[in-house]
Amino acid sequence: MFSTLVRLAFSGIRTRLVASGLTVLLAATAAATVVLALEVGQAGREPWQQTFAAAHGAHVLANVPTEKAARALQSHRGVVEAAAPVPDMTVNLQTGDGPEPLRISGLSGRPQVNAPVRIAGTATPGNGIVLEHSLATALNVGVGDRLTFAGDVGLRVVGTAVLPNVARYPRSNPGVAWVDRSTFDTLRPHGDRESWTVALRLADPAAAPKVAGSILAHQPPGSSSTQTWQEQRSLALMDAQPLQLILAMYTVVLLAVVFAVVAILVGARALEQYRQIGLLKAVGLTPRQVDLVFVIESTVLGLVAAVLGFTAGALLAPVLARPSSETMIGSPTRAADPVHLVVAAVLVLLVLVLSTWLSTRRRTRFSVLHAIESGRAAPPRPSALARLVAVLPLGVSLAVGARTLLAGRARALLLAGAISLTGAAFVFALSMQASLDAQPAGQVSDVPTELPVLVYTLDGVLLLIAITSLLAIALLGLRERLRDFGVLKTVGLTPRQVASTLVSPYAMLAVVASVLSIPVGIALYIATYRAAGGDGDPTLAPWPWLVLVPVATVLLVIVATSVPARMAARASVADVLRTE
Amino acid sequence: MTALLETRDLAKTYDTGGTPVAALIGVDLTVRRGEFVAVMGPSGCGKSTLLNLVAGLDRPSAGEVWFDGRRIDQLSETALAKLRRRRIGFVFQFFNLLPTLSAEANVELPLLLTGTHRREARRQARGLLTDLGIGDKGRSAPSRLSGGQQQRVALARALANQPDLVVGDEPTGGLDSATAGEVLGLLRDAHGRGQTLLLATHDARVAAAADRVVSLRDGRVFDDRTLDAARPVSLPFDPEPL
Repeated sequence: MFSTLVRLAFSGIRTRLVASGLTVLLAATAAATVVLALEVGQAGREPWQQTFAAAHGAHVLANVPTEKAARALQSHRGVVEAAAPVPDMTVNLQTGDGPEPLRISGLSGRPQVNAPVRIAGTATPGNGIVLEHSLATALNVGVGDRLTFAGDVGLRVVGTAVLPNVARYPRSNPGVAWVDRSTFDTLRPHGDRESWTVALRLADPAAAPKVAGSILAHQPPGSSSTQTWQEQRSLALMDAQPLQLILAMYTVVLLAVVFAVVAILVGARALEQYRQIGLLKAVGLTPRQVDLVFVIESTVLGLVAAVLGFTAGALLAPVLARPSSETMIGSPTRAADPVHLVVAAVLVLLVLVLSTWLSTRRRTRFSVLHAIESGRAAPPRPSALARLVAVLPLGVSLAVGARTLLAGRARALLLAGAISLTGAAFVFALSMQASLDAQPAGQVSDVPTELPVLVYTLDGVLLLIAITSLLAIALLGLRERLRDFGVLKTVGLTPRQVASTLVSPYAMLAVVASVLSIPVGIALYIATYRAAGGDGDPTLAPWPWLVLVPVATVLLVIVATSVPARMAARASVADVLRTE
Repeated sequence: MTALLETRDLAKTYDTGGTPVAALIGVDLTVRRGEFVAVMGPSGCGKSTLLNLVAGLDRPSAGEVWFDGRRIDQLSETALAKLRRRRIGFVFQFFNLLPTLSAEANVELPLLLTGTHRREARRQARGLLTDLGIGDKGRSAPSRLSGGQQQRVALARALANQPDLVVGDEPTGGLDSATAGEVLGLLRDAHGRGQTLLLATHDARVAAAADRVVSLRDGRVFDDRTLDAARPVSLPFDPEPL
């Protein structure tokens, strides 16, 4: 029996290629964001590993107040190799926008452990200065440029370098630079917060947290700090975190939209196949088995979508991980972790199966005789909203269209939800842009430049999905109501009025949904802002921007539904009623 | 009586998979104001096509359609819609009520389209439904009505604006004998009030109630005879049983 159900499911997919394609597109996009969110954190691991190896990185970095304390740590238990202690201090760099504090280390030759890895010029400061690479990029400074520090000390930039323990500037603030010890001594009178760092390598790298804890336990409280190699890696890869957060938020939005759209498409199909379902039941299929045919269809489409989404996500993750690589050597790599495929597939299948099952389970419980005789499901009892619309003084086209749209209560609600979530994603993007715009001029943002690009790209994808889905849903509505359009023309509606019965209720629904999208989008933005560790009140998009969301949504809905509306207006009454 | 409807050399050809099929060939027909004309003939003879063309629901391949002295086959879709809403009522065999509107709302629709105030439209719709014997069913959805009740609603909708011409395509075809008789009685009442009826039918009783029977065969007018009310109907072919 199961093989029969599978055959029926595949036949359903083949005969509805457009709806099947749309389902795969939607689910694949959601799967891609799931995979991206998971992969983007891993794509920078390999470059960091390369950087750590090139720098002969420290398993534990200890920062202590004195050289003596630093030297004592060289023989700490578990340490097998240690670099000479390096003095650090904070010195102000004079820039056009005012003083910029830098954390400068004074090197005595190339450190044995945790040595800066050259990116441009040289990693040996000599009489000049080596800047951490992301700091040089942010300051727009290159090799050969001259910098002036407090006390009018001038230094020429001789190179840029990276270290595995230094995250991207300005998230790692103050920025980091290296000079040799004599230059360090020249700057010392103008420096501040001097301390000593010692880089240690351990016999057992896995014991780094334990050794770090032991080091701190032997220092006066609050005077010292340590950083294990695991902490260094997390810090270096932290640039991916905002991206992961945004991707997670969009994943939730996309999965909700997928749920709504698939429920509408499957529900419409079950209605359209009323007679066929009746025939299947007549030959002995139980309602549960009919449900199962739909569920198998969705599962097959979901599996295809998960594989496509995984491929797209794994390919795009290294591109999104590029900001992290600014502080590393090598390029982000594809992780393509099979576990991520499983996670994406489980999430997507769960949403598809649930959506399919909920939308079909009531549509397969009906009288077989009625299905075979009438071929059409009886319209549901009018909802409270439909009854309300009936008493409102609306024009004929809007009144007829709205009552028809609201007769399918679940469909109207799901569609409103999908429109509202898409609008909310735009409110989110506008608030993010307002927040970026509110930063003082000249201040370097710690938001990766890729983040706004990612948000706008995801908004674009969501918009495309929303318009395609709306078009598909409106076309379904057209197919379902073609006979009604013929009747409306017969009783005297002009082609324009017929078109309006299709467009105007969707536009009305879009007005309500898009107005709701404003508080939903603001709530999403605030929740994401808080989850990202933002403090204070987030900057929200100004009201004139927010008003654009409902206006643009309604316009887009009108554009998307105008195609099926034109088809409805042009349909020949005689043809439509003859087909019936 | 003056002519309300006139067709001149009317023809319609359908393209079925690249093969042209002539549904109507050179039909000349005049229907006078206040006349009750039954169009009869076997299935596929062109009855529905003729009705669709005269009601402006379809375009002829050749020939002309004149309504109340005005040529209508070349009018725009919008102009045809405006003509239909005021002057032509249409009744289908399978009722074709809008399923998401109540019986009352279905009847109100043509009234609202002609600019009748909402409250007045509701009052008139209720009155029509009461006249047709289903005043208590106004708020019911069409799916909750019997076939006869649905056809009464469809008839009320067609009569709502008191059109000059009521066109019916097998209006009793989907009903049992008793209900068909009742619907025919309602159509006769409308005719008695001066409305012109043009009905396609297989029903001998409908034909017997008409002033004139036009018979079609293979898309052409095969016979056109005015009936004598005093004599029993004699048809040029055997009508299909009810």
